Parts: sequence; structure tokens; C-alpha cells
Amino acid sequence: MGLEDQLQESVMTTTVDRLVGWARKNSLWPMPFGTACCAIELMATLASRFDIARFGAEAIRFSPRQSDLMIVSGRVSIKMMPVLKKIYDQMPEPKWVISMGACASSGGIFNTYTMVQGVDQFIPVDVYIPGCPPRPENVIQALMKIQEKVARAKAV
Amino acid sequence: MTMAEVEDSPAIQTVRERYPDALIAVHHAFGDESIVVRREDIIPVLTLLRSDPGLRFDYLVDVTAVDRLYLDEDVRFAVVYHLYSHPHTRRLRVKVPVPEGDGHLPSAAALWPAANWLEREVYDLFGIVFDGHPDLRRILMPDDYGAHPLRKDYPLHGKGERDRFVF
Repeated sequence: MGLEDQLQESVMTTTVDRLVGWARKNSLWPMPFGTACCAIELMATLASRFDIARFGAEAIRFSPRQSDLMIVSGRVSIKMMPVLKKIYDQMPEPKWVISMGACASSGGIFNTYTMVQGVDQFIPVDVYIPGCPPRPENVIQALMKIQEKVARAKAV
Repeated sequence: MTMAEVEDSPAIQTVRERYPDALIAVHHAFGDESIVVRREDIIPVLTLLRSDPGLRFDYLVDVTAVDRLYLDEDVRFAVVYHLYSHPHTRRLRVKVPVPEGDGHLPSAAALWPAANWLEREVYDLFGIVFDGHPDLRRILMPDDYGAHPLRKDYPLHGKGERDRFVF
């Protein structure tokens, strides 16, 4: 007569890492860094048709201190990059970054003197979304990729 | 086929009357007209266009510049003022040649407050200095950007600024 038989299905055993990872991945609070047309697609992703709330990520916070997922959606100029870096630094750990669209990932068509050729030169990016702009489905897939990564992260 | 002679607008007639030496050229194109004015006379001419009761160009639509480096022009830059008169519903372009070695021009910010930011933009991107401007700082590029990127001899991809800027 072991303890498991007594408790049967009323108790699950797991690790703290998995429990925290499960909680985190289903309550991501994105910080949208929207600077261009990608931000419009991002807004569509948030709205009812695509409804990012299904993934627990509907609590968009324009305050970096309350966010754990930065979505860089749009082109970033060399004048804007210090702002982006400051906002990224203000986000508490643990944090993740999605680079949404061609411009944020590589500069896109803006191969000019004033544009940062990919934000990954300055901040670590977890998931890149191709597209110009990407469709909401792409954003949702990126979010699910982030969720996988969040679930694997060490909590303790 | 000969082109019909276009009659000058009251604005051009008034400028020609009052400042006959200032007027370098008059152009008509597709119903629009523009005048080319000597640099030393630009503020008196603009003041006349703004204040004369028969003209009243009360709206400075835009100030921009042209780098004519690869064009067949003696003077490299031209600053262009786009004016509009609400009372008379008329438009006028005023062009001023500005040589490369001496890229200075008196500011029109005292005539139209709109000139403040517009002249800052021209200064930022072309390096033309507006004397008497109240606050001539860069407006689009970062403050420490070391070039004027809309000049024709400046490369599209810059000179490495986008890779080695510091913050």
C-alpha cells in the first residue's frame, strides 16, 4: 500500500521548473515595440479575429517593467535604437524577444544610412518572423515557439 | 507650334517692380510658377510676398533644398520655399541658389514660425546654415551624426554610421 495509491489522481508530482514554466508560458505579457506597418498586423493578432488571448498573451503592457516578452515590430533607426535598448533593459528578467518582420530582423528594404540592419546586433532575439509584414498566423506561431522556449527555461 | 505666352501673376509683377535686381529668373510650368531670387535679397522678397496686401502669402508650405551636384548648374544647392496665400488662393515657389563653399542663407523663421523646423531639416540633411535661426540643431538625424546624408555625394548606405554609432 504505497502513498500514490492512497492519493490516486488528486495529486500530481512535477518539478518547480516545469510548474513555473507552465505558468509563465501561458501568461506572457508582451511589450509591443511597434514602429511601422508590422505593428498593424500585431494589433490584428491581438484583436478578436485572431485573439492572442487564447494563448494567455492578451495583457499588452506599454510599460516595460510589467512585461516579459518584447515584440519588435517595425523598422528601427539608429536614433531609435538607444530607446529600444533602454526599454529592453528596463524589462525584468526573465524576458524574451520576438523580432517581427523583415525590417526588425535584417533591415528589410531599408538598406540605408539611417537604419539598423537587424535589432539582433544589439539585443538577443529568440524568434524571428519573416514577412513584410507577417500575417497574424505567423505571429501566433512565433508566440507558440516562444511558449516552447519559456516552458523549457530554468526557473530555479 | 509656339507656346502661348503666360502672363506673370501679381506676385511676380510686384517683386519685379519692387526688387528688379533680385529676380534672376521666372519659370512657368503646368500652371505653376516659380521665381529664382538672389541670395542677398531673399529676406526682403519673402517679406514683401508675405506682407504685401495684394499678395499675402501667409502660409509657408515647405522649405526644402536641391543638391544639383550632377546637374548642369553653376551653383550647387538651391533652397526652395513653397508659399501659399489663403486670401488669394495662389501658390508660388521661390528658389535661391546657394553655393557650396559658402552654404549660408538668412533664416525666414521670423517671417513664418513654420520655417523653424523646416530650416532645421534642410540644415540636417544638406548642411546649409541658416543665419539668425533661433535654434539650428539637427531634427531628424541623431545629434552626433557627422554628415548631411541627402547630399548627392553621400553614399546611400552611409559611411559606417549605422554600424558604429554609440549609445
